[in-house]
Amino acid sequence: MNAAVQVSNLRRVYKSHIGAFRRKVKEVEAVKGISFEVEPGELFGVLGPNGAGKTTTVKMLTTLLIPTSGTATILGYDVVKQADAIRPRIGFIFGGERGLYWRLSGLDNLKYFSALYQIDPAISKQRIPRLLELVGLADRANEKVEGYSRGMKQRLHIARTLLNDPEVLFLDEPSIGLDPVAAREIRQVVRDLREQNKTILLTTHYMFEADELCRRIAVINHGAIIALDTPANLKRFARDLAVVEFQVNRVTPQTVERLKGLPFVDAVSVEEREQNSLVIVQSPRGSEAVPDLMAQLNGSAIQKVSVREPTLEDAYVRLVNQADETEDG
Amino acid sequence: MSLKYARAVFAAFRMTYLSLVMDSFFIFATLLMPLIYALIAFGILRDKGAHYGIYVAIGSGLAGLWSTLLFGSGNAITSERWTGTLENIAALPTPLWVIVFGKTLASTLQSLLSMMVSYLLGWLVFGYPLTIAQLPEFFGVLFFGILSFVALGLMLAPAFLLNPQIQQFQNAMEYPVYILCGFLFPVALLPFWTTPLSYVLSPFWTARALQSAAGGTLTLDQLAFDGAMILALGVIYLGIAALLFRVVLRKARVDATLGLQ
Amino acid sequence: MLSPPPSVLLMQRLWINVQLFSQGAVLSYRALFAWLRPATFIASMIFFPLGQIMFFTLLGIYATGAQNASFFLLGNAMQITASSGIFGVTMAIGGERWAGTLMYLFGSPANRLAIFTGRAAVHILNGFVEVLLGLAWGWLLGWVDFSRTDPLALGLTILIATFSTAALGLLLGCLGLITLNIMFINNLIYFLLLLFSGANVPVSSLPQWMQYISWALPLTRGIQAAREIVSGAHVSQVANLLAGELAIGMMYLAVGYLLFRFFEMEAKRRGTLEAF
Repeated sequence: MNAAVQVSNLRRVYKSHIGAFRRKVKEVEAVKGISFEVEPGELFGVLGPNGAGKTTTVKMLTTLLIPTSGTATILGYDVVKQADAIRPRIGFIFGGERGLYWRLSGLDNLKYFSALYQIDPAISKQRIPRLLELVGLADRANEKVEGYSRGMKQRLHIARTLLNDPEVLFLDEPSIGLDPVAAREIRQVVRDLREQNKTILLTTHYMFEADELCRRIAVINHGAIIALDTPANLKRFARDLAVVEFQVNRVTPQTVERLKGLPFVDAVSVEEREQNSLVIVQSPRGSEAVPDLMAQLNGSAIQKVSVREPTLEDAYVRLVNQADETEDG
Repeated sequence: MSLKYARAVFAAFRMTYLSLVMDSFFIFATLLMPLIYALIAFGILRDKGAHYGIYVAIGSGLAGLWSTLLFGSGNAITSERWTGTLENIAALPTPLWVIVFGKTLASTLQSLLSMMVSYLLGWLVFGYPLTIAQLPEFFGVLFFGILSFVALGLMLAPAFLLNPQIQQFQNAMEYPVYILCGFLFPVALLPFWTTPLSYVLSPFWTARALQSAAGGTLTLDQLAFDGAMILALGVIYLGIAALLFRVVLRKARVDATLGLQ
Repeated sequence: MLSPPPSVLLMQRLWINVQLFSQGAVLSYRALFAWLRPATFIASMIFFPLGQIMFFTLLGIYATGAQNASFFLLGNAMQITASSGIFGVTMAIGGERWAGTLMYLFGSPANRLAIFTGRAAVHILNGFVEVLLGLAWGWLLGWVDFSRTDPLALGLTILIATFSTAALGLLLGCLGLITLNIMFINNLIYFLLLLFSGANVPVSSLPQWMQYISWALPLTRGIQAAREIVSGAHVSQVANLLAGELAIGMMYLAVGYLLFRFFEMEAKRRGTLEAF
């Protein structure tokens, strides 16, 4: 079966001008030659911190940005040379406050975009109410968008992107800036779309969201893909890193440095809380390391010790650190 | 082809019209500004005699149409960028020029309203007899003149997207067109080397023909010649507009300026 | 510890206010220049005023004869100050960006008058320069003869007219803070000035009720004074016009400032400060 999305050595360099009088050109390589494929009907995640290159990648795939080099195809069509064939078949959200016409109602927005998508009025007449139901905006559809909350605007974006019943959907950080309830609703909608066999490429920097929704995840940082696998396999990558957590009274920076210096310790992080501190140690020796670790912590009163399974976040941190070390060293 | 985009054109037209009507700036642009301009023009030309009334009405009407196109059509694409909606409409099955065309039609309608305001002002307030001697020719020229004007506007939209610096010149482009097209005074007042500039602007020919038709001096020869210029220039503007749209949109995708505010 | 003598305290207070004023001026200045390429800014400083001046002067020549060119030129060159004084100043006061930081300013002990007037300073300077450029163009095109003009008197006239227009701009800017429909307001006023200030149509030709409006607006007296000075009048002969223009400006400034303080109180009372 042919891939729905095929990316090969995609690269994008941004040029910006600095200064008003003597204009110097600064070049930034936002996406450094990435390659991946998305199967039809797959919910594929692109996970990475802000500035990693996720949005740039999505913009290239949705024909809004022309790559500096490399190729990409959507449903077999080239994103640069055959953009016209791609546009009716995809949907995309960059979300947020912008991108909708504030002076119009939600319903008018959808009607307008429907006309721009060349959708037969007979079809859109039925589809629009259904979409409003789907995203839960049916009763607020006649209000002006300027009065919508952020979550409502996001849901309207989703309705908008489904107007042309696209085969491939690009959702760029769909739950960013939303309160937990609204975010959960959005994720449910995404799950429903997955059931409809649409191909979805989702970008996010929320680990648990990627873990929960995606079949496979590409971890991206500084414009390069540092790992691509299912969430389970990615976690297994860090499986040998058990995590030991010490809840202590307080911990000094010298103690943290001593811990980091131990040969069997890969990473140490500290969570400061009001009443105590949490020292999180990643070490392949896991629970076996506990006595040695406790010896280093002598001086800080230990209140609780726990050992836990690594999460996607642990795997991510390790991957990113390794990638950074390879870059530096 | 044209039918396929008709719905999109109408949708853009309707959307723009709704947005315009809800903006109080619309009242200013449609009613107050032409009123003030016409008042000033009538005021300055008061000693020229009552038969200048129709001359002023036509001239201020065309001036108003240019201002509306300069900002309404000129900002058609850049305003979408300011509201953050440009990315959502740049990658659609409907080409951007169709949307701009719909928006331009809405602006043009708005401006026709202001033309009527100037006309009514001259008639009601100043009591000038605003008779048009050759009515059918007048409206014929008006119809095609407006189409040609719209084509001129279509060139502005992509031009302003091209470079943010060009937008700075937007304000400065208002009066030169009034001057070069002879809306309110004859271009004979200008130095000879400006004449070619006047000739490439279709509103110049439109104004000329309309003034003649109103005064009853429009000969068949002049009608044919002016009409041909209006249409030919209109077609050239369309060609340039088509080229600009292609080039500018491609450049925006290369330079990543579709999303800038 | 001894506290400093009252004279030192006064000097300190004064110095702080001067700093506040300059900060506002610098911010306005940067807002004006920062994002524009210098070449384009200068081009719009020259082309836009030139367009207006040429249009109305040519129209005036056509309508009333070449001998009246200087009437229209002087009127429009002076009126050009409104593009900085009205547009520039209303955006500086009523502009969204500044309104966003107002919340912080209002929570501070900073002198309100210094903040308020500082924003207008750079636009007064800008307006002054624009008028000079307009006059220069008129002279180059042979539409005005400066041989009998007292340059200092003319300079003073331009400065006062620019100040009083900017004062109106400050008032309108405050209205903009309250109603948030700045573009409508400042366009309207700009065109009303074009109509009522005597720039193109002599005030005496206007109907009586319109003349009241003319004399209540800035620029009217300034334009008349400028015309008289260019025809050779001595500064003492236009002193009452200049005094009137200055007074109008002070009045708009005072009302504007009161509105500004009122806005602060209302916003704090109704809790709408964060609405911006």
